[in-house]
Amino acid sequence: MILELKNIEKSFGEKQVLTGISFQAEGGKAFGLLGRNGAGKTTSIRILMDVFPANSGEVLIDGAPIDYTKVQMGYLPEERGLYPKKVIIDQLTYFAELKGMSRKEAVRSVDYWLGRLGMTEYRNKRLDTLSKGNQQKIQLITALAHDPDIVILDEPFSGLDPVNAMLLKDVVKEQISKGKIVLFSSHQMSYIEEFCDSIAILNSGKVALSGDLREIKRNYVRDRLVVRAENPEPIIADFGKNCTVTENGDLMIQLASAEEKKATMKRLVENYDIDEVKVFEPSLNDIFVEYAGDAVKED
Amino acid sequence: MRQFGKIFNFELKYYLKNKVFVGVTLFLVIAIAGVMFFPRIMGAFENGEEETTENVATELSVMLVKAESPEQSEMVRETFGAAFTDYEVQSTDKEVEEIKDQILSGDVECAFVMTGATSYTYYVNNLSIYDSNTAIADELLQNIYQLNAMVSSGITVEQASEIMTVQIESTTESLGVDQMQNYWYTYIMIFALYMVILLYGQMVATNVATEKSSRAMEVLITSAKPVSMMFGKVLASCMAGLIQLVAIFGSALLFYNLNKSYWGDNMIVDSIFNMPLSLFGYMLIFFTLGFLIYAFLYGAIGSTASKLEDINTSVMPITMLFIVGFFIVMFSFAAGTVDTVLMKVCSYIPFTSPMAMFTRIAMSTVPWYEILISIVILIGSVIGVGVISAKIYRVGVLLYGTTPKIGSIIKAVWKA
Repeated sequence: MILELKNIEKSFGEKQVLTGISFQAEGGKAFGLLGRNGAGKTTSIRILMDVFPANSGEVLIDGAPIDYTKVQMGYLPEERGLYPKKVIIDQLTYFAELKGMSRKEAVRSVDYWLGRLGMTEYRNKRLDTLSKGNQQKIQLITALAHDPDIVILDEPFSGLDPVNAMLLKDVVKEQISKGKIVLFSSHQMSYIEEFCDSIAILNSGKVALSGDLREIKRNYVRDRLVVRAENPEPIIADFGKNCTVTENGDLMIQLASAEEKKATMKRLVENYDIDEVKVFEPSLNDIFVEYAGDAVKED
Repeated sequence: MRQFGKIFNFELKYYLKNKVFVGVTLFLVIAIAGVMFFPRIMGAFENGEEETTENVATELSVMLVKAESPEQSEMVRETFGAAFTDYEVQSTDKEVEEIKDQILSGDVECAFVMTGATSYTYYVNNLSIYDSNTAIADELLQNIYQLNAMVSSGITVEQASEIMTVQIESTTESLGVDQMQNYWYTYIMIFALYMVILLYGQMVATNVATEKSSRAMEVLITSAKPVSMMFGKVLASCMAGLIQLVAIFGSALLFYNLNKSYWGDNMIVDSIFNMPLSLFGYMLIFFTLGFLIYAFLYGAIGSTASKLEDINTSVMPITMLFIVGFFIVMFSFAAGTVDTVLMKVCSYIPFTSPMAMFTRIAMSTVPWYEILISIVILIGSVIGVGVISAKIYRVGVLLYGTTPKIGSIIKAVWKA
């Protein structure tokens, strides 16, 4: 199953919120939707979930317009919250039933998930008697109980302790292995790097960067060198403005172009006492900061 | 439709499991039971009561009469004694100052001092606003004067008394409705509608705002269509309201029938429980429709509030609109003039017609086509307001932060 958003445009009143949003997510793989606060992630998700329509553009499944009666979606919103005063089993089955399950199926599925997440003992308790982390797990069940084809998780790991985070990781991996489309939205880049094969970075309602994460890294312009040296001063003096000192004390040398890489390396090794020199490969965090920063890179 | 059913059930359960809802209903049923069983319980104490009334009878307060002549005094005393049964009427020939002292000391309640056949001074310690003694005295003295005048012109006392006490026989036949007959249940119905709409309207608004502020909305809005949610919620609250009313009025009817013989011929109670079936039907129709139109508005308003605290101020315009309608109807109703132009206009405006049209049907004769037009307008408006409310709801529930201005909501709904 392939989910595709094509040229989505959305404005609220005078304010253009999304401009030509396009990306593609595949079944059996996780997709990371990144962006700073207000970049348009939640609006994109809401359009994808048919909460409100886009001004123009399409949501496609395997190339055909999505049929919301056939494709089930599960959503863990960033803003968590259910009915605090209601019994857990009641509200969870209610949500599963709203998604089309029969009462019997809903109860069975909710009980399975309560067991899977170690929450069975809270089945008949009111939600507000639970700790925040446990409430998070209950909320996760609303996203998974009806066995959706597309699972959308917005900041799924925030507020979870390491043990619960591990449990959630297992659940997410299980969902991916079942061939579902898992759509992640998070600011915690380490999780995105761990799970997601492809990403889209949104900035001010536009896709600033999208594609296969490994390819993005490979295609990153290799025009920076990281240098470690006992005595960095002569190098700094030599490269002037193009040389900066990173947080951990390494030197970062910006080249005029990737072609200068070999010559510059040679020059460094021959002229200075150097411990290490390598081509800079950005982490997802670096990529994010670069693309999700204020200025949108023009294609 | 399936979602609507699920939401309806879920929301209805919320009311029926709500401790406050159950508590209030039970309390009202018990209170009504208390009122309805009251005559029977009092009947059980009746024997003891009689004895005490006898004791009270010996302690009637004293009313003095003083006239210019002893004969006149005696005649006035006799007439007054027959008319003022609450008093022990005594004639006196004491001086006015002495009488005043007696009144001030509390030995005597009040005194009539005649200064002629048709003039007197009434002495009393504290003049109660309910004191109608002078009015009664005026009439009595007038009668005495007329009687004396007739006797002195040659008519016998018997003839004169006959003339004075002639009885008029009359029967009234109302061709339309009897306002006296319908007064009480119309009154109860308008008040019930008023209470239920304000109470449940607020509950619907709070319910929506709670979902929004607890962010349960984030999941809900992706699980169900706003129209299903709005209609499910509002119809569930309407059903809860009807269940509550049926419980209250049903138990009242049951308790009344259990105690019917003890109520005797109490006109008010009798008229309430002998409401014509057609009127009861109209009551249900206008009640349901009136409830729905306001509940939708309250729901829509609830969706625009970000915090529960905002609810009270946000719902103010709707509450005001409703209260204005309520007062127009109440004033016309109390004055008995329910067919004024204002009332006629109000009985077609969907926000006032449930109360205004019902009052007119109950208290006047309204042609069937006027009722039909009013109901059709109301049904159309309920659907229209419902759909618009669902749109406001869809826009409103996703707006957080400051409560949006009405203009911006309309704009957003228009574009949605």
